[in-house]
Amino acid sequence: MLQDRRKNLLVALALIAPFAAIYALAFAYPTIQMFRISFTSAPLIGAGDWVGIENYTRLGKDPLFSRAVWNTLYFVALTVVPGTLIALMIALGVSRLAGRLQALVLALFFLPYILPVSVVYLIWDWTLNFQFGIAMHVLDWLGIPRIPVTKSRTWFMPAVAWVTIWWTAGFSILLFLAGMRAIPAEIYEAAALDNASRWTTFSRITWPLLRPVTALVLTIQLILQLKIFDQVYLFSIGGRPNENMVLVYYIFNKAFQQNQGGRAAAVAVTLFVIIVVVSVLQFQLLRLAGRRRQ
Amino acid sequence: MNCRRLMTIALVATSGLWAGAAHSEETVVWWDFLSGGDGVRMKQLISDFNEAHAGEIKIDATTLEWGTPFYAKVQTSAAVGEAPDVMTYHASRIPLALTQGVLDEITPDDWEKMGLSQADFAASTWDAVTSDGKQYAVPLDTHPIVLYYNRDLLKKAGVLGDNGEPKGMDSKEAFTATLQALKDAGVQYPLGSVTADGNFMFRTVYSLMCQQGGELMTGDEFLVGDNADKLRNALAVLSDWTKAGLQSTYTDYPATVALFTSGEAAMMINGVWEVPTMTDLAQQGKLFDWGAVELPVIFDKPCTYADSHTFAIPKNQGKEMSPEKRDAVLETISWIVKHSLFWATAGHIPAYAPVTESAEYKAMEPNATYSSLTANMIFDPKTPLAGIAGPIFDVMSNYFVPTLNGEMEPADAVESIQEELNAL
Repeated sequence: MLQDRRKNLLVALALIAPFAAIYALAFAYPTIQMFRISFTSAPLIGAGDWVGIENYTRLGKDPLFSRAVWNTLYFVALTVVPGTLIALMIALGVSRLAGRLQALVLALFFLPYILPVSVVYLIWDWTLNFQFGIAMHVLDWLGIPRIPVTKSRTWFMPAVAWVTIWWTAGFSILLFLAGMRAIPAEIYEAAALDNASRWTTFSRITWPLLRPVTALVLTIQLILQLKIFDQVYLFSIGGRPNENMVLVYYIFNKAFQQNQGGRAAAVAVTLFVIIVVVSVLQFQLLRLAGRRRQ
Repeated sequence: MNCRRLMTIALVATSGLWAGAAHSEETVVWWDFLSGGDGVRMKQLISDFNEAHAGEIKIDATTLEWGTPFYAKVQTSAAVGEAPDVMTYHASRIPLALTQGVLDEITPDDWEKMGLSQADFAASTWDAVTSDGKQYAVPLDTHPIVLYYNRDLLKKAGVLGDNGEPKGMDSKEAFTATLQALKDAGVQYPLGSVTADGNFMFRTVYSLMCQQGGELMTGDEFLVGDNADKLRNALAVLSDWTKAGLQSTYTDYPATVALFTSGEAAMMINGVWEVPTMTDLAQQGKLFDWGAVELPVIFDKPCTYADSHTFAIPKNQGKEMSPEKRDAVLETISWIVKHSLFWATAGHIPAYAPVTESAEYKAMEPNATYSSLTANMIFDPKTPLAGIAGPIFDVMSNYFVPTLNGEMEPADAVESIQEELNAL
């Protein structure tokens, strides 16, 4: 008996070892290094001197850092809840279709999701171009003065948020559809027998039973959007990069543009902490809200 | 099966080795960031070089993404001994490269082997590759900005001089009058400016500052004394043109070129690297009569911002370059620099003076017309914060876009720029 257990343990260890080794090398070790470097004056490559918490105290006095924090939160506010709601509405619509038509419509909504971000950027940059963009001709036709969308302080974040929702909604739609299919049909039949209106069916059956999926979509979206970089970077190259600064962009600038590895690591650690705190908070909130209902 | 494949690989590998040893050909690994019209011309030069050095030296060239991606890759690869043998580098990025320790010095011995010396280059260009009396790169060209113009439109508006160049090139009032005349003649955008891209506009604004004798950095401080006023004056000229409807607004780089080549903008301030675009279009008969000249003198003296493409040898950590390899690299640099007449067709002004003094170059138009500006060039301030895609570019551009498009007053912009630059 004892012999067997030991053998099992060895086999289990042997099977886990490759994963554990790669995980330790490619994830755990760099993460530990990141924390360590954030307390040094290291450049991008090579070691630096120990400076204690100076990299962190400097962040408090850096106007660009606080702008990056606010812009990131603003972007999260513009995308997470609106994006989830839009995906839910589209999923509700798609679920009412059937057969080939449903597959076609679903494919159309999913299409943007498979595009690389650079293609997404080009499509929207052409659309919104101040001189030649199609959208500007629409504005001309409506008699509204042209708006330099990606070059203006007011419109930049909403525009990038819109592009992001357009780009990523496909995946959330899929999750919602899967959630809806998991709801047993008998419940809807029972509701129909009771003559429940469409709104009642949604608010009393679909919405509460979709809660776990909604929580999942919200959490995925939240973490994803806190890490926003690509779109903001592409749309603001050459334009007003500091005005549109977000946290990951700031990390990129500090590390790769200004060669300050230590300070970049300090920002990365801060973002890490923000993501952990916010997502734990959100998860707890959703659980609490769920419990109160029951 | 596996064993056989392994043997085949081994055989192929050894035969390759043997072939290499028989010819003792040196392979020079080359990285550049030249992907536009100039990239095509550089590939031609490289293949000419390989042909001329068959059996001795072979350039193995790779083109990488311009800007931050290129420089990040150079830095990381040099740190692990995987950098190329020779690479293109912007002179403006040399100060930062030195703090990163990625460049090897070009020693007096190297210069002698290449058959090049200080006398072959303009003083400002030589200075741009020099730090503490040592050189870290070999200049290939200088690439300033110039004023492109549409002769047909200028003639129609009566502002084309007898010499075939625009009128009013000697003062702010005169040049503004030229722009106004174009506007009155029905031109939609008298001046095409890359007003959506502050990074780009840095070149124009910095030129205008220099025309007043201003400097961005004095010692370690930014915009000392009346330099702030000089920056404000420079911005004010451009924002006044916007307010008077004389310049295109929120226009990004490709749109600016499109506005000019389609005849909607009568003039354009852009880099010399757009010369091949115009030459090619003109050859196909799709372009009007065009020209390019040195920037107008808006303030006290002529001055134009320029950067320089140079060749540098990376300092590979833990991997010493053999003397034979170094000789091959030096021969590569020297040959390309001395054959840069063809490079001039990309618009850039060759840095090697014997080329620009040659009769062939003097016959090239509009290159010969604008190359006189090499006497009035200003390069980036020498600091690790400067250079293309550097933090100074970012701070400035952040305020240039609103100012040049009439959202912000020049004075407010200068105040914010000063504050942010000194916080760097």
